[in-house]
Amino acid sequence: MKKIALSLLLLAISAFGANHIIDQKGKTFIPHEITVKPGDTITFKNSDPFAHNAYTDDEANEFDIGMQASGTEKSITVKPGGDFSVECAIHPNMLLEVTVK
Amino acid sequence: MKKKISFVLLLGSALYGAYSDVQTNLNEDEMLSLGQKVYEQTCISCHGKDGETNQDMQLVVKPRQLQKTLLTKEQSFEIIRHGAHYFGAHADVMPAFKYVYSDEQIAAVALYITKKFNAQRAEKVKKLLDASQKLTEDEKVDMLQVGKKIFQKKCAKCHGITGDGKSEYVEQSKADENFIYPYNLTRTLLHEEQIFLYAKFGGHFWGTDKKDMPSWKRKYNDVKLKSVAKYVEKEIKKLKE
Repeated sequence: MKKIALSLLLLAISAFGANHIIDQKGKTFIPHEITVKPGDTITFKNSDPFAHNAYTDDEANEFDIGMQASGTEKSITVKPGGDFSVECAIHPNMLLEVTVK
Repeated sequence: MKKKISFVLLLGSALYGAYSDVQTNLNEDEMLSLGQKVYEQTCISCHGKDGETNQDMQLVVKPRQLQKTLLTKEQSFEIIRHGAHYFGAHADVMPAFKYVYSDEQIAAVALYITKKFNAQRAEKVKKLLDASQKLTEDEKVDMLQVGKKIFQKKCAKCHGITGDGKSEYVEQSKADENFIYPYNLTRTLLHEEQIFLYAKFGGHFWGTDKKDMPSWKRKYNDVKLKSVAKYVEKEIKKLKE
């Protein structure tokens, strides 16, 4: 029941959420810092000619978008929680700092 | 007539055709001269006069900077003899020279590049290992499990779950004309401690192209990276075909 309520809440929030576009280019997240609100979406573009794999181990916002081919986009929805970092599972020097307001 | 002094290669190996099996009547100075001659005939065109690598070469994978290599002279001998593909590199890098040069000539080159360009290698490796974090007894017990978990979560993304260099990453990226293929780790000639140092500092630190294997030291501490190296040494290398 709680899960359904949370899902409905997120759905409601996401209907009004902003979309933040993060490019992955030159093995860097661009921009590398963003401020978001719960319900916002983050869209990861891959402008590099090779694959990336954005993910976070953060408890509240844990996600792994999997292998992402060049020229594609993948999105996630931000859940309520604290700030978190996003990394690339292939290129360990890529780092995106996400501040959740 | 100049008296030949037998040059004794001290390091033992069970491998047929290994550095230690090379028969020669040359002393060390003569071996170095022979190595220099062969190096300047052949290797210099890619690796440069002082082993610093010719950066102008239009190659996807830049030749290794021999001044920085992690390889011992015994390992360099193997790579020169069999080529890098034999030890897990993608097909189009460093070729095998065993069809071109004798084992004596190849051993001479291995000796030359080690003494001439990379004489501090052993000391550098020892310093880095001495400075690295030591494992507790409990951590030693868990190494293979910890290493397996990290390998499967991270290393396998590029090197494949069995370390054979076949992965979704390769499939999705190989259309890039500058793509550098991950090594087939089942065939690597690096030893456990070398694998740890390679993973910690990344390939470029050890003389490979900038686009090669990244450094994992920001992501994982020494204990975790040593665990990964143990897993590759004990489990992945067993899968060699």
